[in-house]
Amino acid sequence: MRLYKKEGNIVQILSFPDETVEKGDYLLIEDGEVGKALIAQVIDVQFASIPGVLEELLRSLPDGGELIQGEDIDPLEIAPHITYIQDASLLICKIRATVESESLSPSSSWLPSRSKSTIKKLSIPTLLKLVKVGGKLPIIVGGTKDSSLLTIDASDLDGRLNIVTGKKETGKSHLSKLLMLSLVGYKATVVVFDLNGEYLRLGMTADGKRNAYYDKIHVLTPAQNFKVPFKHLNLHVLLGILIHALHLPGTSAREFRRIWQSLRDRDMLSLHELGEAIRNWHCNQHVRDALFSRYHALVNSGFFTDENASTMLLEECLFKAKEQGGAIIINLRNTSSIDRQIVVEYVLGKLVELLTSWKLKAVFLFAEEAHLYLRETYWDDIVTRMRHFGIFTTFITNQPDTIRENIYRQADNIFLFNFTNEHDLEVVSRAARVDAETVKSIARELPPHHCLVLGKVVKDFPMVVKVKALDVETMGETRLFFKEAN
Amino acid sequence: MIEQYTITTTPKYNFPHPATDITLPQRLVELSIRSLKNALNTNPIQLNQQTIQQPFNNQTRLNLKPIPLNPKHDTTVVAAIDTSSMKIGETATGMLIAIRGATVWKQKSSYRYLRIGPFIIHITEENKTEVYNALQKAYSNTQSENQQQNLQNHQIPTRLANLLEKWLQTTLSKTLNGGIILFDGSLTAGTPDTPKGLMKEILNTARARGNVALAFSKMTTLRINGILITDLALEHKPPYILEVEGLRTKPPTVMLGEVYIAKLTRGNCTFRLDIDKEIPAEQRIEAVERLLGNDLLSQGYPETLRLAHILCTFTANEVIAMQYFATRNYGLKLVNRPNMHKLLFGPFGKGDNTS
Repeated sequence: MRLYKKEGNIVQILSFPDETVEKGDYLLIEDGEVGKALIAQVIDVQFASIPGVLEELLRSLPDGGELIQGEDIDPLEIAPHITYIQDASLLICKIRATVESESLSPSSSWLPSRSKSTIKKLSIPTLLKLVKVGGKLPIIVGGTKDSSLLTIDASDLDGRLNIVTGKKETGKSHLSKLLMLSLVGYKATVVVFDLNGEYLRLGMTADGKRNAYYDKIHVLTPAQNFKVPFKHLNLHVLLGILIHALHLPGTSAREFRRIWQSLRDRDMLSLHELGEAIRNWHCNQHVRDALFSRYHALVNSGFFTDENASTMLLEECLFKAKEQGGAIIINLRNTSSIDRQIVVEYVLGKLVELLTSWKLKAVFLFAEEAHLYLRETYWDDIVTRMRHFGIFTTFITNQPDTIRENIYRQADNIFLFNFTNEHDLEVVSRAARVDAETVKSIARELPPHHCLVLGKVVKDFPMVVKVKALDVETMGETRLFFKEAN
Repeated sequence: MIEQYTITTTPKYNFPHPATDITLPQRLVELSIRSLKNALNTNPIQLNQQTIQQPFNNQTRLNLKPIPLNPKHDTTVVAAIDTSSMKIGETATGMLIAIRGATVWKQKSSYRYLRIGPFIIHITEENKTEVYNALQKAYSNTQSENQQQNLQNHQIPTRLANLLEKWLQTTLSKTLNGGIILFDGSLTAGTPDTPKGLMKEILNTARARGNVALAFSKMTTLRINGILITDLALEHKPPYILEVEGLRTKPPTVMLGEVYIAKLTRGNCTFRLDIDKEIPAEQRIEAVERLLGNDLLSQGYPETLRLAHILCTFTANEVIAMQYFATRNYGLKLVNRPNMHKLLFGPFGKGDNTS
């Protein structure tokens, strides 16, 4: 390999056919005389612009598009040299860092010697060691191309905003389960908004036996084992549900607050009494109608109850998880859009309540397709305000444009699976921790279950990894009509 | 190193396999390797020299008469030969040149080819005559009819390519039966490039096997009233040929072919066509008609000959590869010697060729 060109932080390297380098590989461009080296990542492999190649190709096809048949007598054996030159490739590489005296700096301001520099492939283990990826709380994400393991540190997910994105069936949920279980393994508290019921049986192995996480996975299905005793509801949480999930106007919300206070003062907080109070409350008829329609929505959700028995309290699960680590799976499958928003409002409100009162230390929140249940204003809340309370979110989506640009800009880690759509790649490339060229070039060609890891977990050295398999019942498979026939 | 000329025998294209003339002369390969080895101890190759393909052409005068043509579709093998030469670099003591030749023939409806080379030869002031004479002897088994000691350096690539071309023509004339052999250039002999004896022998051999040799010139200096014969606008519907009469050549140059102007398809392209003089006039015309019926013609030029030219031409990629070969296998260190024209005159310096 020879250094050909450097423009900004892009270097072009001429590579010959016997040097196998692919997209995503790291190269070390070492200039011995100045005692410095550049670490560059291959983001594209192109044919080198060899003069005369077009003529070479054209003359091999002059017979009506068919290859012209013939024999070459080449006594000096020049032909292999022609092929060698013709197949030379140009590696477009992004400079990631400069190594000087075994320390790394993000600088790319110096120019290595074109004639004297040596270029060699940098293996992932060497790179990981050099950039000190990994740590005391290792999470094995999977295998890299050179058969080494990519291990990230769980503490690099702590206090961070993460995004797992990629098109359908590329393995996003699989990775989020892996991250989630690994965090649980380190006694973290995890809350998952499970839209499709994919996380329900993570406590079981693929062959249906209990696994190490069995006691740490708490599945809460709204209106079934997850009901909220009405009298335990906090007014702020309930108003949040009414205003944000059920779009209660301000005037009606004020009346509701009065009704609530009246019931609380009389120690009569119950769903039934709330209904009666609205019925008998002296107020404008439109306000009463508005309150009644929301009241019926609350009742019909089946999520609120006047009974204390046979309900699983969110707090109990969270406190249990706080001690030993655990995941609270909020099963949103078979839940209507309105009920979903009610449940999410409640859970988030409750989490903030518990975190502000320091009853909980911190929570890792995994939100799948969050645009389907998260109200507009919550996005900013989650990435700014709630982070300070101790809610560290991981968004999982196959529609990257449903996550707002400011979320990408503040994302600390991005786990990017394959995207072929230019628009999707454009959206993801707005993330602050990555350059657009890397995203567009590498993500487009990632095979299924391969992920481009970007951000703090890899110390801003983008790495491609094949996500390791999990011995759990993943339940994320698409239901197929023709499955039997196949 | 020596390869057999391996064209399969078919009923119509009946190649005998004599072992003597049609084997690739080992002498060329030996010279190529020896000259490269000798170059090891000389100065580096200069890269920025002009690398222009060297065409072959000739000069004459004429009178005209049009002959209409009807394509004859009775199956005839059409074969063509062309060679290329190129200077691929310079050393302090000489230059590195490459030559390559190609034979293309149309068999049934498809084209096939045999390509020989490239041969890379290091030519110095000291060895140029020796190399040329040795190759001439090996290829044509004739000694120079002209003064080879006056060989100019810039002529060497062309001359060596010519030797290879003559050898390919000899080979084809001895192996093809009842076919049409297309040469690039003319049938003028007695020039340093084309010894009369050798050219006569090629034509005699071809004729004896029922072949007709047709030579197409892309460029000619023949003029009528000051106008190039190929530029004359004549009101005839192609295909036709115009017979050129009363041509004179200065000794020792002789014309072994009857000269025609050929306009074989519509369009602006007209070529000088030389056809073996010893063949009766009717057969000469019939040969062109058989060519029309058996080969594709694009812009009035036979496809077989076009392919031969394309296949032997060196591309820039190949030049790089040959330079790489010389560097890698013979340890020659390549250096860009400054272009004095560019150096002295900047953007007004147009290179060595425009001096």
